[in-house]
Amino acid sequence: MTTAVAPERATVGIPSDAAVVVRDLRRSFGHRDVLRGVDLTIRGRQFVALLGRSGSGKSTILRALAGLDPGAVGELYVPARRAVVYQDPRLLPWAKVLPNVTLGLEGRDAAGRGRTALEEVGLRGHEDDWPKTLSGGEAQRVALARALVREPELLLLDEPFGALDALTRIRMHALVVRLCQLHHPAVLLVTHDVDEAVLLADRVLVLTEGRVSLDLTIEIEGPRLRSDPAFGRLRSRLLAELGVDEAGEGARSAPDTPAAPDASDATDARTADDLAGPLQIHPPSEQEIPT
Amino acid sequence: MTISLTRAAVVEPTAPEGAVRAAELSDAPRTLVRLPTARSGAPTRRGFRGATGPSRLIGVGLLVAIWEVAALLGWIQPQDLAAPTAVLSTGAHLIANGTLPDALWASLQRVFWGLAIGVPIGAALAVAAGLSRTGERLIDGNVQVLRFVPIIGLESLFVLWLGVGETAKISMIMLGVMFPIYINTFAAIRSIDPSYGELADVVGLRRLARLRRIVLPAALPGFLVGLRLAMAVAWLLLVFAEQINASSGLGYLIVQAQTYFQSNVIVVCLACYAVLGLLTDVFVRGLEAVLLRWQPGR
Repeated sequence: MTTAVAPERATVGIPSDAAVVVRDLRRSFGHRDVLRGVDLTIRGRQFVALLGRSGSGKSTILRALAGLDPGAVGELYVPARRAVVYQDPRLLPWAKVLPNVTLGLEGRDAAGRGRTALEEVGLRGHEDDWPKTLSGGEAQRVALARALVREPELLLLDEPFGALDALTRIRMHALVVRLCQLHHPAVLLVTHDVDEAVLLADRVLVLTEGRVSLDLTIEIEGPRLRSDPAFGRLRSRLLAELGVDEAGEGARSAPDTPAAPDASDATDARTADDLAGPLQIHPPSEQEIPT
Repeated sequence: MTISLTRAAVVEPTAPEGAVRAAELSDAPRTLVRLPTARSGAPTRRGFRGATGPSRLIGVGLLVAIWEVAALLGWIQPQDLAAPTAVLSTGAHLIANGTLPDALWASLQRVFWGLAIGVPIGAALAVAAGLSRTGERLIDGNVQVLRFVPIIGLESLFVLWLGVGETAKISMIMLGVMFPIYINTFAAIRSIDPSYGELADVVGLRRLARLRRIVLPAALPGFLVGLRLAMAVAWLLLVFAEQINASSGLGYLIVQAQTYFQSNVIVVCLACYAVLGLLTDVFVRGLEAVLLRWQPGR
């Protein structure tokens, strides 16, 4: 199932604090080379956001790291305990919430651990609910609980906030940050939302034409506010890398996408939040929306 | 210069005209439609609700009433078709002397064993064929070919192999119910959303857990559709098997009644089939209501 994963860490040249090491990862679908040699090291506990346009191959990297892509070429080193949260919650509709969380979990205390995980995502008392009765945000929190109950060393998030409404997304951002501080896995967040990446991640990567074209460590001290000039500079830099003209007049003519650059970049930017203290929604004046 | 003037000349007249039209429209008196709303506190009904409970039997009652009247008026001769009241008294008589209960018991046993053996075999074959390519190659072709052989046509072979006893009848029912079970369960397994398989990989479900937690529950709706069809097939084959060679059962009773021109007994037996068929359908519906309560829209 897992691709080219060495059984142990004895391999030469892998840093001892690395959670993920990717060397020269390549992947083609037919004649299309989606990944053309990706090199990537993620340290333990690091929160990395991976940005890219639609079809840039960011989800392909995530699938490879999840061990779900037998067609990936290259060297991949990942921890044994990995968990994935997808854009859709992907709950089994025929199982109640608790068995969904503990799916595949072994051991006598599985149910107890599942209950704890549900409590962490704020869904205590929903153990016996059917997934069909949950709202989109609740279902996604169950999916998060299902991932965290495994105590993953690597948490792979594949646009997990993409299908949520703006207000739910703000809550989920804060929840994910809090849970990551609690469980401290290494995180790879795949997203096309620049603001989300800057708000959540310690480090942002941009994937362009099958390679990592930009690798930024985010060093904004304290709470990340969108009104912070540093935030604005970072986001301009990232948007430029993604081929978006910040004046909002649409795309710089990109070689493969003549149309607008993934409209969701613009809309998503509205919905990201600041992570300072208690949740608050900022008045529009404080938001810098590139439209 | 000239060019820009020309352009302006083209553009300008349209703009104010459009604006005027918009203003006219916005000032025009509107007719508003009042939408139907519920009275506060009144129960809301959404969409079409099918008739439930005893009200579904109104049509049946009407038909029986017309039949009775037609018999009373002499439009239907008793030797062709007995009146409902005659049928009822015949039924009571047949129950009292034990003929009907004996026949029912014999028939029910055949259907029960046919289903009890055929349904698990059909489901097991579907799982085997649905989950492995080898299984599909070995099983699916055979089933698809056999499916087009009329089961009733196999009766002669069964009698040849198994004689005229219970085994032949049960075997025929068994074989008949396997097909709807197999076909529906197989289709359900094959149409399981592959993203569940990926989820199973991610959470590390082993083969058996995968079958139990994902494949079987996902295939359950299809299986239950198959079960409903299988029940209908079972009753159909039962009548046939019992009318060809049997010394007990409802079909046998019908053949006997035919010999002695007792249309009332025939109608009693047919009514029994109808009620039994209805009961099995209600049984599967109940099963669906319990087992599929997780489905959205239930």
